[in-house]
Amino acid sequence: MIAMIKRNLLLYFRDRSGVFFSLLGALISFILYLVFLKQNMLTSWHQVPNARLLLDSWLIGGTLAITGMTTTLTSLSLMVTDKVDHIAEDLGLTDAGPLRLFGSYLCSAAVIGFLMQLAMFGIMWGGFYVTDGLTLSLTEIRNTLGLMVVSSILATAVNASFIRAIHSVNSLNKLETIIGTAAGFLVGTYIPIGLLPGFAQNLVKFIPGSYVAALYREFLMGSKLTAAFGGDSTALASFDQLMGIRLKWTNLLTPQATYHIMGLMLIGAVILALGPEWIQIRHRRRVIRER
Amino acid sequence: MLLEAKHLTKTFGDRIAVNAVDLQIEKGSFTALLGPNGAGKSTTMNLLIGLSQPTAGSVVYDQKPRIGVVFQGSVLDAMLTVQENLQIRADQYRHVSADRVKILSQQLGLTDFMTQRYGTLSGGQRRRVDIARALLNSPGILFLDEPTTGLDIQTRHAIWDLVQHLQRKQKMTVILTTHYLDEADAADNVIIIDHGRVLVHGTAAEIKERYATDSLTMTSPNVPQLAANIVQRPTRVTDTQLTFRLPDVQSALAILTANRELISNFEFRPGTMDDAFLALTGKEMR
Repeated sequence: MIAMIKRNLLLYFRDRSGVFFSLLGALISFILYLVFLKQNMLTSWHQVPNARLLLDSWLIGGTLAITGMTTTLTSLSLMVTDKVDHIAEDLGLTDAGPLRLFGSYLCSAAVIGFLMQLAMFGIMWGGFYVTDGLTLSLTEIRNTLGLMVVSSILATAVNASFIRAIHSVNSLNKLETIIGTAAGFLVGTYIPIGLLPGFAQNLVKFIPGSYVAALYREFLMGSKLTAAFGGDSTALASFDQLMGIRLKWTNLLTPQATYHIMGLMLIGAVILALGPEWIQIRHRRRVIRER
Repeated sequence: MLLEAKHLTKTFGDRIAVNAVDLQIEKGSFTALLGPNGAGKSTTMNLLIGLSQPTAGSVVYDQKPRIGVVFQGSVLDAMLTVQENLQIRADQYRHVSADRVKILSQQLGLTDFMTQRYGTLSGGQRRRVDIARALLNSPGILFLDEPTTGLDIQTRHAIWDLVQHLQRKQKMTVILTTHYLDEADAADNVIIIDHGRVLVHGTAAEIKERYATDSLTMTSPNVPQLAANIVQRPTRVTDTQLTFRLPDVQSALAILTANRELISNFEFRPGTMDDAFLALTGKEMR
């Protein structure tokens, strides 16, 4: 299994242009924001103190969530190309077994998702440190790093349940385009969730990435928000809801509740991703035993 | 019997790819599966390997086999070096010794390009690496699906020698499919398949003996006279030449001696595998 994970990682990182474009896919929202949206949003936030730094952290949160989704998908696409190129048949001849092979695709995707989020985090924080003097506390960094791990695992599981249904490179490319395009809207990175119409707001709540983005924002902006809003908790709560820093079910979710929801989504995704594989393996075993 | 296929059948929708094939493969034997494109060779092979499940019938090995497979296309990663490719595959087996990749690379002459990326190798080099990959787990039975297709004649011979060497020296059981009929000459066992059925099986010599006719071409200054002297109808007539299909050498000698004054030159060609193949599978293209 380790050999297989090593192979998947080597294949991902040796393809330099692939890594570059994968990063660019995530960076594009960051660049678009800087070029088109930042000034516009700053104007509408003029009454919020420290608006510039808050906005920077807000963007980092959303972009990291997108990065997790898109890079794990790119990595998992190896599963499809291996099948298409008959490499999967050759791998099946080894002693590794189908579950372990599947597991190694998931592990390498999660590792790649984490590393790419880390790289994006470095790039964005570095950029904002230079332009706006953005600083982060140790706790904020620690929470963010921890969330990167959870985010890449969750995104891997969710993407793995999609990718099972894909059997050609053509449809894989289309899925990648769709997810890459939709992700920015679905997790509320381009437009704050509170400004979306009611239906879209509900749709956002079905997307695991939204919870990841919300938690990132909470971790990165929490202390700055408390400082900015002083004791005005109603104003803070409505700002949290508007910007998707905390999602609302019946009440605004606490970080713990958000983590719980993410945990349930992870379990659901793992069942969807692994279930069919497991049933297939059992079926095959029974067929062989019957002979 | 190392491997026995009984009534092996595989259908894809309405199309019958493999139709009630019975096969017996002896340990240490060399079997060539021949057939035109789409005859069902690869499907049969996949069923024997266990990569696909038969619709009906069964494949029985006398013990759990260690299988090596050289696939028709490349199944190694173009972006990784030969060394990485082989080592990664080796690590996925449980009982492969640490120096196996090194030993194989020396045996198969890969040492010059071990650090080169697989995708940059020539066709012949790539094939040797594919074979090394198939030998990683020291298989008792080696399947090769058209191992020499698309290679130049020198490389074909080299690959061919290598496979024969493996079979003879290491007592490996070899089963391969091929388009090149001359390659089947060396096999212990030739199986010709068409439309999913076994048309004939036996040694190359037996098959040629039974299905390939010899051909005699004579050049003569007086073609009409020569043609009149011979009872049999010629298969080809030109202004200067006559060609006959004959069952054996004796009948050719009889014609030659009886008409020696009329013959300025002649060519006798014993029946080849190509002749037998065409006789069995017909001339239309698939």
